[in-house]
Amino acid sequence: MLTTADVAAAEAEELRQSRSWLRGLLVPKVLFGLAIVVFFLLLAFAGPLIDHTSPDTTSAAALRAPSLGHWLGTTQQGQDVLAQVIYGARISMEVGLGAGVLTTLWSVLVGLTGGYIAGVGSELLSMFSNVFLVLPSLPLVVILAAYLPNSGSTGVILVITATGWAWGARVLRAQTLSLRRRDFVEAARATGESSFKIMLYDILPNELAIIAATFLASVVGAILTEASIAFLGLSNVTQWSWGTILYWAQVSGAELARAWWWFVPPGLCIALVGTGLAFINFGIDDVINPRLRSAGPATLTRRDRLRLRLRSRPTAEGARTAADPAAPAEHDHGNERVPVLALRHLSVEYGGNQVPVRAVSDVTLTLHRGEVLGIAGESGSGKSTLARAVTRLLRPPASITGGEMIYTTRSGRQLDITGLSDAELRKFRWEEISIVFQSAMNALNPVLTLGAQMDDVLHAHRPQMKKVERAARTRELLQLVGISPDRAGAYPHELSGGMRQRAMIAMGLALDPEIIVMDEPTTALDVVIQRQVIETIGRLKDRLGFSVIFITHDLSLLIELCDTIAIMYAGQIVELAPAEQLYRHPQHPYSQGLLGSFPTLTGPRRTLTGVPGYPPDLRRRPPGCQFQPRCPQAFDACTEAIPLLTRREDADVACFLYDEATVGDNHG
Amino acid sequence: MAEPVLEAVHITKHFPVHGGRQLQRRTVHAVEDASLALYPGTVTALVGESGSGKSTLARLLAGLHKRTSGEILLRGQPAGATRGRAFRRHVSDVQLILQDPYGSFNPMLKIATHLERAVRIHEPGLRGGALRARTGELLKQVHLLPAGQFGEKYPHELSGGQLQRVSIARGLAARPSVILADEPVSNLDVSIRLGVLNLLAELTTEQRVALLYVTHDVASARYFAADTAVMYAGQLIESGPSEQVISEPAHPYTRLLISSAPDPARAAGTGPAEDRGQPPSLITPPAGCRFHPRCPLAMPRCSEQAPPVFTLGGGHWTRCWLYSADNDNPDGNNPPGEPEGTQP
Amino acid sequence: MRMLARRLFFYLVTAWAAITLNFILPRLMPGNPAQGLIERFNGRLSPGAVHAIEILFGQPHTSLLSQYFSYWGNMLTLNFGTSYAFYPSPVAQVIKQSIFWTLVLIGLCTIIGFVIGTLLGMFVGWRRGGWRDALVPMTTFLSSLPYFWFALMAILVFAVTLGWFPSSGGYGIGVEIGPTWPFISSAIYYGFLPALTVVVASVGGWLLGMRNMMITTLNEDYVLLAEAKGLSRLRVMFTYAGRNAVLPSVAGFAMSLGFVVGGAIVTEIVFNYPGIGTVLFQAAKGQDYPLLEAIFLTITIAVLLANLFADLAYIALDPRTREA
Repeated sequence: MLTTADVAAAEAEELRQSRSWLRGLLVPKVLFGLAIVVFFLLLAFAGPLIDHTSPDTTSAAALRAPSLGHWLGTTQQGQDVLAQVIYGARISMEVGLGAGVLTTLWSVLVGLTGGYIAGVGSELLSMFSNVFLVLPSLPLVVILAAYLPNSGSTGVILVITATGWAWGARVLRAQTLSLRRRDFVEAARATGESSFKIMLYDILPNELAIIAATFLASVVGAILTEASIAFLGLSNVTQWSWGTILYWAQVSGAELARAWWWFVPPGLCIALVGTGLAFINFGIDDVINPRLRSAGPATLTRRDRLRLRLRSRPTAEGARTAADPAAPAEHDHGNERVPVLALRHLSVEYGGNQVPVRAVSDVTLTLHRGEVLGIAGESGSGKSTLARAVTRLLRPPASITGGEMIYTTRSGRQLDITGLSDAELRKFRWEEISIVFQSAMNALNPVLTLGAQMDDVLHAHRPQMKKVERAARTRELLQLVGISPDRAGAYPHELSGGMRQRAMIAMGLALDPEIIVMDEPTTALDVVIQRQVIETIGRLKDRLGFSVIFITHDLSLLIELCDTIAIMYAGQIVELAPAEQLYRHPQHPYSQGLLGSFPTLTGPRRTLTGVPGYPPDLRRRPPGCQFQPRCPQAFDACTEAIPLLTRREDADVACFLYDEATVGDNHG
Repeated sequence: MAEPVLEAVHITKHFPVHGGRQLQRRTVHAVEDASLALYPGTVTALVGESGSGKSTLARLLAGLHKRTSGEILLRGQPAGATRGRAFRRHVSDVQLILQDPYGSFNPMLKIATHLERAVRIHEPGLRGGALRARTGELLKQVHLLPAGQFGEKYPHELSGGQLQRVSIARGLAARPSVILADEPVSNLDVSIRLGVLNLLAELTTEQRVALLYVTHDVASARYFAADTAVMYAGQLIESGPSEQVISEPAHPYTRLLISSAPDPARAAGTGPAEDRGQPPSLITPPAGCRFHPRCPLAMPRCSEQAPPVFTLGGGHWTRCWLYSADNDNPDGNNPPGEPEGTQP
Repeated sequence: MRMLARRLFFYLVTAWAAITLNFILPRLMPGNPAQGLIERFNGRLSPGAVHAIEILFGQPHTSLLSQYFSYWGNMLTLNFGTSYAFYPSPVAQVIKQSIFWTLVLIGLCTIIGFVIGTLLGMFVGWRRGGWRDALVPMTTFLSSLPYFWFALMAILVFAVTLGWFPSSGGYGIGVEIGPTWPFISSAIYYGFLPALTVVVASVGGWLLGMRNMMITTLNEDYVLLAEAKGLSRLRVMFTYAGRNAVLPSVAGFAMSLGFVVGGAIVTEIVFNYPGIGTVLFQAAKGQDYPLLEAIFLTITIAVLLANLFADLAYIALDPRTREA
């Protein structure tokens, strides 16, 4: 049992880690960006005090390249370019910040209001900002500047604000709209909170990140626009800004005279400030959208690749057993049960920057031909991770860290799925094992028709099939699941949820696989549709003879549907038994608790308690049996070691209650 | 039987469909002529699938939607305002709990802040120590102890079950007489659900609250609620004591629902016959009884006239022509037998 | 179709707003732009031309509303007045002469930039790590450089130092304008550097946007399923990830186009390219209000048309926008 001190320490640590949005900001790229911006701010406001050279003084040293006397060379009038750049920083930054602030204020006002109020007012405000968004801003800027010639900073700031506010307003409006629809705003309304307080407490704080991002982007835009206005000579050209330097450079033909030192530095300064601000923005973006942080699918870490190479074995022609003597013996129950997939001591870890988390620990189980195996578990059980592991669909930072998955083909050949190369894997996939996901809305490509999505898997695996043959097969598959073949030209969003799920099953059958893995296929469906889909699966299985791995949290569904059920908890299998036996006589305390969590439709009404305690936290594992903190039948041995799956009464249970060695202690 | 504390009387709600060809204004007939009564100290289940209108009905009762027609009575007085002082008065007596615990809380505020905001709406004078005491008391009522520790956490630091308890605590801040729970446990782990349901049952009994339990899970309705009402396509089609509705369902849809639900205890092979189709569009619902296109026992009358309420005794009623006294059907008021085998 | 109707309505409103803006601005400005302009012509305007200018910029002693009607009359007959900087040409003629050059330059470059940027973004987003991630700061830096700076650099490097391309103009001196090969080849030769500038300067934005969207899309279930189906990597990248990731770029084309147009205009100025940008510059320097406002309108209409094409493209790419 964890001591209270341990718990307190762990809680404090967790608190620190989860409040890490500030941490998320202190990453190298943000700091780099900040450094650049701070440097230029200092340059702008302190530079002229340090370097006393005046930018205006002419001299006879015209168009000199950079030298010790003039670090950035001289202009055609002999003026010091460095001094101009330093002085120019001031106006450029001033205008940039000033316009940025004003623009953001206006954007926030229009955007937030437009997003929060409903109805006609909101539409009008949106139209208003969209119009300004589409109007080409540079010509408008030029016109405004032409009407107000030679205006100083204030004029320029106003012009920039008037033409640049629309983008921020649109972004903020979209964000506010989505926030307004979020449940917690509705919940706040339901408690009777006033609209003003909702805006203040709920909407505004959640917008801060986007407002900050908008502000930074506005500053970049403002600096660039100011440079353009100055470059065109539309503002006061005697006031030094980076754009003005470029104006004079171009007017004097600097580029033709190869005086690169005149126009390159101001441009670089503008770009550096822009880059610095953009980097800070990236940091904010990462905090808002954490997906950008983790690596993409096609990237394997070096460690992963090493691991794969070590485990990769050439696929031999003849049968090759991969029996592990420590594994439990095959239990054939006297029938002809041929194993088709054997998992031995499979482990999956989520790596990444933090401490690795074991999602699947030492899983050993066997699927037989024609069998329906159910895997039940709740959050943290590892069942979905197991499904992805079996189909080799784990994305970094998850990877298989141990064990093997042996697949037996119809001809008796054995393959270790974990060791398949990329090319072998692509051939193996869908031919032998296919998968059906939970959310068919997301699992079907929204821009391709149903037929096209079925066609391309046929095309990829059966290159000798002609187009008409593929179309015929597609029609055949759709009919198998009860979808009219003329729906092949439909897009996913045109189909109902149940139909989409059945279409996914049809797709899974395209190549006559041996195994179909179904990861919560009916969880998002209504119970009536779910029943239809389940019956379809049963029908097809009887007809085509494939095996099914069915993963769900709904244990009562599994008992109706499956031959064998495995119960997972905290990444381990705690019980593996025939369905009927699990229902009548569950052995593991978690199985008992889980079964007892499902109210029945028939039979006597009793008070049920479910399972006490909280779901497991895989980052802070208790010692010994993972279920022990919640187990009503725990005893001393449970914290000392992890129980292994052992055979008992036609089932496999991982519990010390049934371990001969410890049973004596229990009753001692 | 005690007086109902909150009642919906012939409530109808139509939503306009935005956009579309502006030639005809289309409406979603989300709730049609629904009447429901909630009694103190009683749990009433509202069962239906997605699109049945059950969540809309709950929100109508909570005053979050304006009703198109019908009445809402709070202790016999007209209620259901959606704005202003009348709304705030309504809300101080009727509280809504939402399905997704993580979505129901502003991720940037602490638990204690959430509860304090709720308390201050209904007890504006409380400050400082008294305020903290009250929030502590609320956390205690939902068994989240030690209260101080939970108050300091942020929503994402709690588990789903814990957060849903906080949701309930927030509702209790108003000292309501009615709690409307919209699928309160559907997003939670199976083994946690019962804890939260038992808590709700306990609060209902101890505080004499009327609880509306909206769900799609018929089995939990039987376990938890004294009465069950079934909704289909925006209409209430059956209602009565839970045990009776579930063990002797009268309406063909209710039967379909119950026989579709997974039940390991049921002997294998007595599943429903192949069902045709899915719930109808609520923009152009079928004429007459809205279930008739899918009903294996449909009669010509069903497509012409919408059936009225037929009482079946013991508080059990249904809207189905099968129970009309003047039927040609010789089975009269008795539940008809299983339909003939339909084609596979 | 519903979406298209809404967009069309929106474009009409925007066009109306641009026209009305042109009407309001001179009447808001300090001083009296109309009178100022007429005086600057120094009596060289015919009474009809004077009247036109008054209608466009401010008639004394007439109500705002009737001025607005007369203004619309002029707009619909495409009477934009007489140009000051290009006297005595009417404004409409000045624009007609230069718009062709700009359309070709900007049109081609936008498309090329979009295609290159999007393709590169797709590749960079597909695999992460290593040199690809280093591309991001570089691209960010590049897209923060002003367009005209690129133009200056291009002139310095390719025109002055290497001497490969001319530094200004749209076609060779002495070449006659017409659909002949000498003219076309001359136009390409002179247009190469401006085009290069616009493409290089705009690619960064498209690239970054597409890259980010690619990364988000790659986490979608349908991409995972495509891999599970054993499809070739190329097909997954293009047809499953790419085709979905490109949608926001097409949808956001409106905003991006504004930047590109602005940048291209400034580029024309640097290269003295005979497009509408150079004309705009001269109009601004000479405070040629009639020409300025007409250019603004023209560019606005062109941008709206481009947006319309982008909308059509989006409808073609995303079947969810097509109602049955």
